[in-house]
Amino acid sequence: MKRNLIIATLVVFACSSVFLLSSCAKKQVVSEEKEITAPPKVVVKVEEEKPPAVEVAKEVKEEEEKVIKKAEEARVEKLKEVEIAKKKVAEEKVWEDRRGIRFEAEPVYFDFDKSFIRSEYRPVLREKAGFLKDNPNVRARIEGNCDERGTNEYNLALGERRSESAKNFLLSLGISPDRIETISYGEERPLAVGHNEDSWAQNRRDDFVIMKK
Amino acid sequence: MRKLKSTLVSKILCNTRAIFRILIWILVLWIGILVQTEGVEARLYIDITAPSMRRISIAIPDFKYLGNKSERPGLSSKLPGIISNDCDLSGYFRPLDKGSFIEGPNSGITRDSIRFKDWSVIGAELLLKGGYECIGQQLKVVVRLFDVFSGKQLYGKRALGSVDRARYLMHRLGNDIILTLTGHPGPFLTKMAFVGTSTGHKEIYISDYDGHNLKQITRYNTITLSPGWSPLGDRMIYTSFRSSSTVLFMHDVVKGLVNKISDRKGLNIAAAWKPNGKELALTLTISGNPDIFLIDITGKILKRLTKNWGIDVSPTFSPDGKRMAFVSNRSGSPQIYVLDLITNQIERLTFEGNYNTSPAWSKLDRIAFAGSSDGNLDIYTISPDGKDLHRVTQDQGNNEDPCWSPDGRYIAFSSNRTGGNYHIFIANANGQNQRQVTFFGRGDQLSPSWAQHSE
Repeated sequence: MKRNLIIATLVVFACSSVFLLSSCAKKQVVSEEKEITAPPKVVVKVEEEKPPAVEVAKEVKEEEEKVIKKAEEARVEKLKEVEIAKKKVAEEKVWEDRRGIRFEAEPVYFDFDKSFIRSEYRPVLREKAGFLKDNPNVRARIEGNCDERGTNEYNLALGERRSESAKNFLLSLGISPDRIETISYGEERPLAVGHNEDSWAQNRRDDFVIMKK
Repeated sequence: MRKLKSTLVSKILCNTRAIFRILIWILVLWIGILVQTEGVEARLYIDITAPSMRRISIAIPDFKYLGNKSERPGLSSKLPGIISNDCDLSGYFRPLDKGSFIEGPNSGITRDSIRFKDWSVIGAELLLKGGYECIGQQLKVVVRLFDVFSGKQLYGKRALGSVDRARYLMHRLGNDIILTLTGHPGPFLTKMAFVGTSTGHKEIYISDYDGHNLKQITRYNTITLSPGWSPLGDRMIYTSFRSSSTVLFMHDVVKGLVNKISDRKGLNIAAAWKPNGKELALTLTISGNPDIFLIDITGKILKRLTKNWGIDVSPTFSPDGKRMAFVSNRSGSPQIYVLDLITNQIERLTFEGNYNTSPAWSKLDRIAFAGSSDGNLDIYTISPDGKDLHRVTQDQGNNEDPCWSPDGRYIAFSSNRTGGNYHIFIANANGQNQRQVTFFGRGDQLSPSWAQHSE
């Protein structure tokens, strides 16, 4: 936006300077003509004197062209800059999107019957906090899940604690509490349906979902 | 129209019941001494307080048609089938295989027309004889119970009702027979609620105690959990998932009305009725942590019952409503605790195993729970003072969510012992006689709740 403003003012400046210069040249010509028209016979002289006038006009024109060229160069330069900036923004957006995808795709896993954040998942949560900081419009939902062992009711409570502990970690990194919602699905939404530790480990997790504003 | 019909039927039923009552009184006066003395004697047949019971073998042949021309011949085996299944599920009897019966077709259902030797020779100790007659939509049934060894009649009753309520009628007679033999009515006029997954969602279903008369009562297409019958069996509570939280609902099963009771932020789960039917305990997370609160049936918070850093969940009340058992992980793993609601003292109840959940407090003051020591969950019962731990299931898959029959003499639970899906099973309080009662082809049946029929 700022950049656009600068470009606009530059363009306006260039145009106005060209206009000013050209109008000055015209005035000069007119005043000479006035002087000349006083003695009507000096028409030839006038004609003779025309070349200097033309020369002046030439000079003016050259100067004018220089300015235009400069302005054009500036414009092209700016255009390039804008395009680069645009590209950069697009690249950043892709990067942010990628971060968004990672935000949602990387769960945090838990130990059996536990809800504390394992140390290896702290960097994951820090990255998620970073994403939330860079995208202040994004709200997130943390969904707590458990493996199938134990009762639905206990697991609902355990899942709630898991989602809360990830939320609290994000809050400790400065994320505002009203940007994070939690829900527990207990053992109701398993990712892996096997009845072994491999499956259970995948099901003891917090999922992260971006909620569009 | 249907209502009118049913009220008419019930009116007729009432009238006929009154007439029958008079008839029975006449019968009692007539053979009163016989019934009474045999009633006393009959109590010796089954001592249900014994730690282990021997099942009495009973023969229940097809019922005879008593009218002139045979109507609804299917009832001849259907009616004794219902009572035979009741006898089997009760755990007190071992119904004999019909294929072993040697009695001829022309024998009657009165004492004089029965050759008891035909029954004693195949090992029958008791003989239940019955006859029926259809008058339009009305069904008339007579049943008589005999001691095969002595040839004495222990019980005899006539009953009348509409044909489409035949199951109910037979359950009533079954209850009566149990009452005659044990001094306590049978559990056959009870009903079950449970979570079923056959639609791909978790919905609430209700059925008779034996799995018949199945009805799906919720169609929320989400996850609905923890059904709990009210003490009178007229209403049910359950928790259902909505977009951003769990919500506790109360469902008036008679009127078909559903009320939202609690939809506070976070969890609104694991609700349990107080025996007075006026208050509920449930787990909320409004304090930032799963704690148990007491609410009234409109959802208003009356009291916070637990205050602890850990998870407190799955409350269940003692029959007098003065104590509450619940699950907490305050010691590091889920264990069962008992809270005295008068002194506010909390005592840990379970110490064996590292995972004990789902307490259910019976009317006879036992606490059933699901515990894990070897990976699988199994059902145990324990006295509320922590003594007398008893294992109900072993080496048969996972066994979860125990609940008690209204009289406290039976346990229901869900088990995947048949391989794959979970089904509801019932067993005697001591764990004997475990029987499957739900047979859905698809999906699981979980979290049973057991109540008296409200009618």
